Amino acid sequence: MKISILGRNTGRGRRGRTSAAVALGAVLALTATACGDDGSGSGEGAEGSGTGKIVFWDNNGGVRTDIWKEVIADFEKANPDIDVQYVGIASTEYQSKVDTAIQGGGLPDVGGISASMLAGFAAQGALEPLDERLEGSSLNGKLNKDMIESLRAAGGGDDQLYSVPTSANNGVLYYRTDMFEKAGLEEPTTWDRFFEAAEKLTDKGSNRFGYTIRGGAGSIAQALDAMYGQSGITSFWDSTGKKTTVNDPKNVKALEKYAALFKKVTPAADLNNDFTKMVAQWDSGEIGMLNHNLGSYQDHVKALGVEKFRGIPQPVGPDGKRVQVSNPVDGIGLFKSSKNKDAAWKFIEFAASAQSNSKFNESAGQVPAHADAAKDAWIAKAEPTKLAADALSDGSTTIVQLPYYLPDWNTISKADNEPNFQKVLLGDMSAKDFLDGIAEQLNAAQAEWDEQMG
Amino acid sequence: MITKEATTAAPAPAPAVPEPPRPVQRRRAWDEAPRWQIYLPLGIYLVFTLIPFYWILLFALRPAGSTSLVPWPMTTAHFEKVWTDRGFATFFQNSVLVGVATLFMTTLVALAGGYALARFDFRIKRGFMLALLCSQFVPGALLLVPLFEIFAELQMINSLGSVIIAETVFQLPLSMILLSNFIKNVPYSLEEAAWVDGCNRFRAFRVVVLPLLRPGLIAVGSFAFVHSWNHFLFALMFLNNQEKQTVPVGLNTLMSADSVDLGALAAGGIIAAVPVVIVFAFIQKWLITGFSAGAVKG
Repeated sequence: MKISILGRNTGRGRRGRTSAAVALGAVLALTATACGDDGSGSGEGAEGSGTGKIVFWDNNGGVRTDIWKEVIADFEKANPDIDVQYVGIASTEYQSKVDTAIQGGGLPDVGGISASMLAGFAAQGALEPLDERLEGSSLNGKLNKDMIESLRAAGGGDDQLYSVPTSANNGVLYYRTDMFEKAGLEEPTTWDRFFEAAEKLTDKGSNRFGYTIRGGAGSIAQALDAMYGQSGITSFWDSTGKKTTVNDPKNVKALEKYAALFKKVTPAADLNNDFTKMVAQWDSGEIGMLNHNLGSYQDHVKALGVEKFRGIPQPVGPDGKRVQVSNPVDGIGLFKSSKNKDAAWKFIEFAASAQSNSKFNESAGQVPAHADAAKDAWIAKAEPTKLAADALSDGSTTIVQLPYYLPDWNTISKADNEPNFQKVLLGDMSAKDFLDGIAEQLNAAQAEWDEQMG
Repeated sequence: MITKEATTAAPAPAPAVPEPPRPVQRRRAWDEAPRWQIYLPLGIYLVFTLIPFYWILLFALRPAGSTSLVPWPMTTAHFEKVWTDRGFATFFQNSVLVGVATLFMTTLVALAGGYALARFDFRIKRGFMLALLCSQFVPGALLLVPLFEIFAELQMINSLGSVIIAETVFQLPLSMILLSNFIKNVPYSLEEAAWVDGCNRFRAFRVVVLPLLRPGLIAVGSFAFVHSWNHFLFALMFLNNQEKQTVPVGLNTLMSADSVDLGALAAGGIIAAVPVVIVFAFIQKWLITGFSAGAVKG
């Protein structure tokens, strides 16, 4: 290559060189972005010696880091020849980190696997089926059957269990008891009372609102909960299993009523509410009611104390029946690429055992998967958890199972339609058009799923 | 004499009085503007800018559960919690290491590359410049899997070295372009004069050119530091050990799927922001000079 001092070379044939550089750049970019992996992570792994080091990725790192470290310390005490390395990963980034590791290698031995992300990981062949291990385990028959079935159903259609359940979450209606008492309102146990209270508690001049609606990230699941709760429709699919009930006229009517709350009884800023903003403004302001799940209970206790609020299951419909949409069951899975599956399974067994499961869920405020843990005394003291556990087990509540098994579910229920829900709130799109759009996508995704499953 | 007579006997006609230059008029009009016309918009802008910072300070300094609009009684509990319990002491050290190493590597390599682009002509120079510009259009996320595989092959996953290399590589194109423009602005004759005085090329560069590049070096170095300090993606993906993670990744873990400790999050945000604010406070003069001088000359 000829190199000369600037200004003393005339630079011949530059057009040709530019074209060559563009072509070279394009080739380099395409080469750099190409993936050379079959997507199966880093091989089939091995059972290993049952001792040594294993790596555990927590799918909800941060707030639960302390309790996981406590469980790990207990495990290492009971199994001194196994060393568990804990890695806490924020829930928002967990899926992309695991997906990258599936493609590029570097998966851990054990990872938190909730129902909402199970289908994607299982479809990529990254997870070890756990049915046989569970059958031979002390956990057999001790774990909540509904949670197991929920995870099995979410796993990709091959009827295998890829994640051992640890916890269930549930939708909760939090309300400010002090504001309700002052206004002389009854507890919002029915949808009619809910709407009545939302209006009566609102005084915009005093910056006081009856409700805070979720208009930003995560809005669709909450809207679905309100829709199915009011309409009383108990299944996400019709009798043929091919058409969703999401745009049923009863649901359309319910969504219209729910969306009409925006700005009428809620702050205008709710349009961009994700759970963080929604919980923060409920904890620090004067807002009568909030729909969220068990996970934020401790935040409310810290901010308001236990005297000023209650967390109850969703309101019941006009016929006295409660219908709620499912919350993803959380669990722990074993990655196929693990070179130490024996030790990894020992850790999973320990983490899902009665003692550890109880300890973990007491800290997380969620419903334990282990039957013995679910009977522990702390549950009676954590009112929302107890009410949620009762609602999930006493037959009073019908759970509409959301289709977590559809690979497109996360895209349809988030990126594709959350902006449209904001349009509904602003009155730029009708509830019917919004739900028809979702239904069309869901029906297509289900048809594709049916075709793939034969 | 003739010249003198000619000049004295025939005075030149008076030159036309040039119109006063426009910038002077604009400056006068600006000077005469009522103060409130300047300070009111600035004040409104400042309020909008500072309120979010005040809010972060408020949450970080008031006790959990307080709804007071002033951080009183004041507590440092949130800072203690994130610094010790949540591992921010370690994250901070790691971020400093990544930031400083990226700063030095980027500046050093960009200086050498920038000098070559400014002072030499070679066959694929235009194409190379085009490739540098095109590389700015490729988002880091797109290259994540290939980079992950490369670092895995090199046994560098879970090493701060992988993050430092990735950050440096992504900083280099813009830094090289900026520094090459700076070097072009230094007259070539200065280097030639140094050669005549007996310097070789490297010494001439070090003694004559390098001192004149200070604004550019500060701009490029600070930009590399701040970018790597704030960058989240590479640290998240390439580092698996909790003890190796950086501040942005640590901040992210303060928000769980359905619960958030706002006091801790605000305290973590302040810890993350302080170094960047300090860096900008010290270098803003050179930074503005650096970017304007490097950006518009080509």
